[in-house]
Amino acid sequence: MLRFGRVLFKEAGTGISKTLSEILVCPLSKQPLRVCEKTNSLISDSIGVSYPVVDGIPRLVPSNGKIIDDEEASNSNSAVDPDAVKNDHQRCSS
Amino acid sequence: MQPKDSLVDAVAENLLDRLEDCKRTFPTTLCMGGSLEAVRRLLRGRGGIEKLIMMDTSNDMVKLCKNAEMRMPNENIETSYVVGDEEFLPIKESSLDLVISCLGLHWTNDLPGAMIQARLALKPDGLFLAAILGGDTLKELRIACTVAQMEREGGISPRLSPLAQVRDAGNLLTRAGFMLPGVDVDEYTVRYKNPLELIEHLRAMGESNALIHRGKILNRETALATAAVYESMFAAEDGTVPATFQVIYMTGWREHPSQQKAKQRGSATISFKDIQKQFGQSDER
Repeated sequence: MLRFGRVLFKEAGTGISKTLSEILVCPLSKQPLRVCEKTNSLISDSIGVSYPVVDGIPRLVPSNGKIIDDEEASNSNSAVDPDAVKNDHQRCSS
Repeated sequence: MQPKDSLVDAVAENLLDRLEDCKRTFPTTLCMGGSLEAVRRLLRGRGGIEKLIMMDTSNDMVKLCKNAEMRMPNENIETSYVVGDEEFLPIKESSLDLVISCLGLHWTNDLPGAMIQARLALKPDGLFLAAILGGDTLKELRIACTVAQMEREGGISPRLSPLAQVRDAGNLLTRAGFMLPGVDVDEYTVRYKNPLELIEHLRAMGESNALIHRGKILNRETALATAAVYESMFAAEDGTVPATFQVIYMTGWREHPSQQKAKQRGSATISFKDIQKQFGQSDER
């Protein structure tokens, strides 16, 4: 892997660096976050909230968090059918 | 250089200078809120920072810093960007060597809470370094506003956000649980051609009153009266007006066994009597 002075190692999909993924936690519960590549977000399983990642920048202000209901949670876990993801799930491109 | 640039830069420079005062290096650093951009730009390799996390509540501010990174000298620093709130810090416990905040924390609603979270995010023996605006800031403007409002409206309402007093800063650090707290103050006087220029500067710095309770309408007449009072009370001979910015610098360390601290009460093994016996009934000189 090439590494220039300022380019970060990126995890596929969300574009979050290894550094960030190891250090970031949910701002409300302080529990670890799970990367969800499909929805481009960070999931806090402890409180059932997802935070968007926009242009590779995680938005971890509590007001950015979106409560996920059970169906969405199980969809984001499986690697299947993107159509099953609800429309009102957080849009990541703005 | 514009007045606004030099104040923020001077404060950032002062903060960063302190990194050279300790023999420590701070490989993993969080820079939060306030003048993010200035801190990054003026860093110049100080503090031995390897991983720098830049955080602000505003998406736009973070974006701005990320884009500016291309223009920064290559200091072999890995920078990451997060949108986050100091009062709800999204950082894992004991993961940072340094938390630095330049003119950002005076915006928080819960300053003690924010400081506690910063402390928890620090590794043992990690450093908290912050600059906030102090109570004397814009005292001229406060006075002018009050006088003008009393004259015009017969009452006063808060127009300037509340700011910490120097005497509170030490308490804030200890309440947050920091060890070896250090507080010092600097006053910067910025000169403006006229009071309205000051208001413009404040807006450019993003420092307009954030208090929810401020009177929604600053009556135009009152505003002009304020400017007039300001000028009459504080103007120099050449017509320029000064504005005071008081900056409080705070330092604190996360507890670590290696740090000196006072012994527990009741743990003394020698009494004063013994000391007196040792040195004899010495006379005062």
